[in-house]
Amino acid sequence: MSELDAETRAALAELLLAMADDEFVLGFWDSEWTGIAPILEEDVAMSSVSQDEIGHAKALYELLAGLSGEDADRIAFGRPVDGYRHAALMNHARTDWAFSIARRFLYEHADAVRLESLAASAYQPLADLAVKMRREETYHLLHFDLWLRRLAEGGDDSHARLAEAIGALWSDAQAVFAPMAGEACLVAARILPESLEALRARWLERVIPLLEASHLPVPAATDRPTADGRTQRTDEFAWLHGEFTMVSGSEADATW
Amino acid sequence: MGSKDRVWEVFRQEAEGDPMVHGGSVKAPDEELATHYAREFYGRRQESERLWIVPRDAITELDDPDLLKPPFDRSFKRPGGFLIKHKLEAARERAGSPQVEEAGE
Repeated sequence: MSELDAETRAALAELLLAMADDEFVLGFWDSEWTGIAPILEEDVAMSSVSQDEIGHAKALYELLAGLSGEDADRIAFGRPVDGYRHAALMNHARTDWAFSIARRFLYEHADAVRLESLAASAYQPLADLAVKMRREETYHLLHFDLWLRRLAEGGDDSHARLAEAIGALWSDAQAVFAPMAGEACLVAARILPESLEALRARWLERVIPLLEASHLPVPAATDRPTADGRTQRTDEFAWLHGEFTMVSGSEADATW
Repeated sequence: MGSKDRVWEVFRQEAEGDPMVHGGSVKAPDEELATHYAREFYGRRQESERLWIVPRDAITELDDPDLLKPPFDRSFKRPGGFLIKHKLEAARERAGSPQVEEAGE
């Protein structure tokens, strides 16, 4: 692809930041399970998956940094709470195991749909990265499909908690596909090969049958997510932000 | 989980063609989760070409010393036959040594 014009560059930066923040914030939330997951083996698995997400965020921040001339660490850690652009799905605290599993299940499928599409992006560095990330996300999908099934079949208590979490997260999960200011520009340039609404439809086609197969209630259909799905922040996220910027914020210009 | 957990022994192959070597074990209630955990513990850093995940209770163990460590010298049963290195050394000592090198002169 030839040199990007200013409008396309800004639109691409918006997409990269949204994806990076999704992975980054979710990685931090779920890394809180380290040491307290249900069994030792799962503790290691959940911690490693969370590290994977932070690794993906790093790669995306670096792509963005190459575009904007900023420093990747500064982008990751140097913004105020309202400067983050993750979907509302990642605004919630870790809560209980069922809640974390419900969120991962919803997110992993959304991420898979997004990456599958981006693997054909006209912006080659993003297409290459999407292909690479998908290989790791294959395992994430398997792992959280498995946990969804198990908790759904694991008895009344775990089924009820899972159903409640899916219900509570459903509308915020749509926000992974919240419209972006530069979306039309990205679609026209084939950087984003399909509209976010087309991706959301595909995600629903995958997630709903899996919920039904596990006898989990499928929440009522929702309208297209609104643009504020990636800008509204919560006190819970503000707390997490305080945690993950604690060290970097302790001395603003330190070299680590 | 807990009481339903089984122990699975994990064998790994480092490179194509290498022998499968015991890596360690994981606890999991069934084969599906055992596979995930084996991958997490023994395969997520590109260190393995393939894994074998075997329920420990499928393994037949033999550790009887009467069978495995017979008390008599059975070195003649080894592929290399009798160990004669020490006998040879003793014989050379008795014969007064460096003869071997001078023999050809």
